[in-house]
Amino acid sequence: MNFFFLWVIFGIGITLVFYALAGRIKRFKIAFLNPVLLAIVGIIIFLKVFDIPFEAYNKGGKILTYFLGPAVVALGAFFYEKYEELRKDLRLLSIAVIIGGICGVVSIVVFMLLLGMPLFLIQSLAAKSVTTPIAVEITKNVGGIPDITAGIVIAVGVFGNVFGLYFLNKMGITSQRAIGAALGTAAHGIGTARAIEEGVIPGVYSGIAMCLNGIVTAVSTPVILHLIL
Amino acid sequence: MRIKAFFFILLFLLAGELIRYLFKLPVAGNIIGMVLLFVALKYRWIALSAIKPASDKLLEFLVLFFIPYGVGLMIYFDLIKAYWLPLSIAVIASTLLTLYITAVILQKSGK
Repeated sequence: MNFFFLWVIFGIGITLVFYALAGRIKRFKIAFLNPVLLAIVGIIIFLKVFDIPFEAYNKGGKILTYFLGPAVVALGAFFYEKYEELRKDLRLLSIAVIIGGICGVVSIVVFMLLLGMPLFLIQSLAAKSVTTPIAVEITKNVGGIPDITAGIVIAVGVFGNVFGLYFLNKMGITSQRAIGAALGTAAHGIGTARAIEEGVIPGVYSGIAMCLNGIVTAVSTPVILHLIL
Repeated sequence: MRIKAFFFILLFLLAGELIRYLFKLPVAGNIIGMVLLFVALKYRWIALSAIKPASDKLLEFLVLFFIPYGVGLMIYFDLIKAYWLPLSIAVIASTLLTLYITAVILQKSGK
């Protein structure tokens, strides 16, 4: 009997089940109940309750993550569609996102250094503002632990989704475009979901900002870490 | 149609990995592939309709593909637990700063 094969089926199967279950929660529209976060927490609890080690789960889980290769490439098509929606304002938006994105990487690295955090955590979190698939690739590249990145990046998105708009309003930001760009740059897709709820303009700005920052952060993170560390 | 589109995406992935390998770039191959695909679409080297059947499908399930990494957080619980407070402070402060800087640049120069 080939038990390895059974674990592969288990890992993929349990992920699919929790993914489908969490998807049903979406209609309640409560940001804390982010479906990805729910699926991850659900699987972790399941594995803990039945005392299944992560390594066993990951025999199947790993296979799913291989699809991130082509899926990240596919994001290029998504970015292109967003780009077509907003050609005119692109220069100013790009400047804001490039500065904001680089500031996001530099600030997390500097804050963590000041607080005396270990190197592997800094490497794992430098790309915390960008969409999870890209953040995971950046982390692998700079020698961090992608498993730490994924959880924190999603948490950052949920934080931006829930508190971002309130914070920006308090800071005197009223421009719809500025709100959209900020949410997309700092809180990737989950922040963009909030911007879309605000309206079409913040939604589009947020989507493009998220795309741009994915590229800005992918290119700048290795350089910034090399310079600061 | 979708198989062909998926094949194109794999070609861009392969090209990205090759470029990374040849030029020893510190950026992941699939991210280079993503930028290549964007450039190819922008300059009309390839039509969006030739890619879309596969890219839309892949993006529909994008979330599913990184759930296992999220679950992987469980082995690092104890490691992270020791740092949860400074970690939260750093992440929240950096996120708020990023939000503000990006917004303020657009708002100030937009008028």
